[in-house]
Amino acid sequence: MTRLAEIPVRIEATVRIESPAAAGGLGGGIDAILSELVSLLERLAEGNSPGAIDLRSLPMSPQDRAELQRVLGDGEVQATVNARGLSKVRETRVSGVWWIEHFDLQGESVAEFIDVSRVPEILASASDEIAADARDLRARIASRPARSPRESHAARQ
Amino acid sequence: MPPVNEELTVGEMLLKAGISRRAFIKFCTATASAMALPPWMGAAMAEQLRHARRPSVVYLSFQECTGCFESLTRSFAPTIESLIFNVVSLDYDDTLMAAAGDQAEAALSRAMRENFGKYVLVIDGSVPTGAGGAYCTSGGRSAVDTLREAAKGAAAIVCVGTCSAFGGIPFADPNPTGAWPVTAIVGDRPIINVSGCPPIPEVITGTLLQFVTTGKAPDLDEHLRPKAFFGNTIHDRCYRRPFYDEGKFAKSFDDEGARNGWCLYELGCKGPTTYNACATIKWNGGTSFPIESGHGCLGCSEPGFWDHGSFYAAQSGAGWGKAGASSPRRALELGVAAGATGAVLGVASAGVSRLRQHRSEQDAHDHDGHDFDRKDG
Repeated sequence: MTRLAEIPVRIEATVRIESPAAAGGLGGGIDAILSELVSLLERLAEGNSPGAIDLRSLPMSPQDRAELQRVLGDGEVQATVNARGLSKVRETRVSGVWWIEHFDLQGESVAEFIDVSRVPEILASASDEIAADARDLRARIASRPARSPRESHAARQ
Repeated sequence: MPPVNEELTVGEMLLKAGISRRAFIKFCTATASAMALPPWMGAAMAEQLRHARRPSVVYLSFQECTGCFESLTRSFAPTIESLIFNVVSLDYDDTLMAAAGDQAEAALSRAMRENFGKYVLVIDGSVPTGAGGAYCTSGGRSAVDTLREAAKGAAAIVCVGTCSAFGGIPFADPNPTGAWPVTAIVGDRPIINVSGCPPIPEVITGTLLQFVTTGKAPDLDEHLRPKAFFGNTIHDRCYRRPFYDEGKFAKSFDDEGARNGWCLYELGCKGPTTYNACATIKWNGGTSFPIESGHGCLGCSEPGFWDHGSFYAAQSGAGWGKAGASSPRRALELGVAAGATGAVLGVASAGVSRLRQHRSEQDAHDHDGHDFDRKDG
């Protein structure tokens, strides 16, 4: 048993857990988030740096979250990164706006944000790693045994 | 403790430990989120750290229970926090290292000599000064002497846990060992207090990472705690706060209010005067925090939390901030006669540092600031 959710819990029928947040009482601010996204997109289009909005820092109710997801919609790209827990990267219908959620090894969400970029950093390959792997690949090519003209011709057939 | 290679960058060492660049970006993004930094800072932090040389960290444990260290290294599963801490950072830690006796002491001397002026000194536990420091010795040296020597070459000191930050439980009345926090002993080095009994592991790692990334202390509050983690009270960010605002309080631990998840203020919750990130970062990998389990906050990240009356008395009746200034402990907290503090220390420095004077003034100011009505009116 590694997760809280796996502990058997019996809920008494007479007990009602009230939560103003669950009732949507703490929400609001979707328009503000959308306006911020417009601002970040305009800056990105002008060649400025990528931006992001941390969704965990905002007091959003489940209704707000659903509404924001509905407005932004689904784009063409959905990617899953498996790096010490999953990361789900989903393009929205708005170009340059990506919805990203990181999970730890236990499957718990550890970060959730809207990324405004051409390609999220977590998906892009890094320049130093590209250069290092290019060197590595060149070395591997050089260390391969040379083929005779006949072997090369046969490989092309 | 694994051998370390001074030539490797942090990124290369992480890769050797099986932590990819993307996993590190993810971790730094989550850390930035926890520290209320802009999300793009996570990727920037990861990029900078990946190319940085391994920071040198010396971890000294004094009068403590090892709970703080357990908090960091005994998570449910091996976390990236513990991996980074274990693999990347430690030059010396007497709990983790395989070496013992003379070998261990030699490792400490070498780490301090070779990284003089550059290493981060992490202190866990209060510093007993009674009986000439005899209550806590290692290798024939008292904790207070070891601290003084190690502090000389430290770029910064990070006090992990309420004991090293504020004296903690050893400092509680009647303080039989003459225990003091690090700030009472060392006055000429940057000090960051990461209080809590124990502190949240993400807060420990986040603070260290930010210092290593930027080379300077983060913004600190009046108790030298990072504002990113200690900027709000538990009460401010508590999911039960709406019930407080509505005047709905549990009166006992099994009444209808408790069952309905109402505010625990009247059951002694110290959330209104306790600054920490438990309500947002939570514990055990973000599972929950004590109030979610139905128990009030004990206020463990605040100075003198052990002596502020019953954990189960509502704050207005618990004497919070009303204790007398007659004891050395209260003298330090209230900033009364900083010179007397120096005299009480005995084996500690005879001079009263500017930092301590400053701290005492700040503490006195903060004492007023801890009035419940002012914070949560």
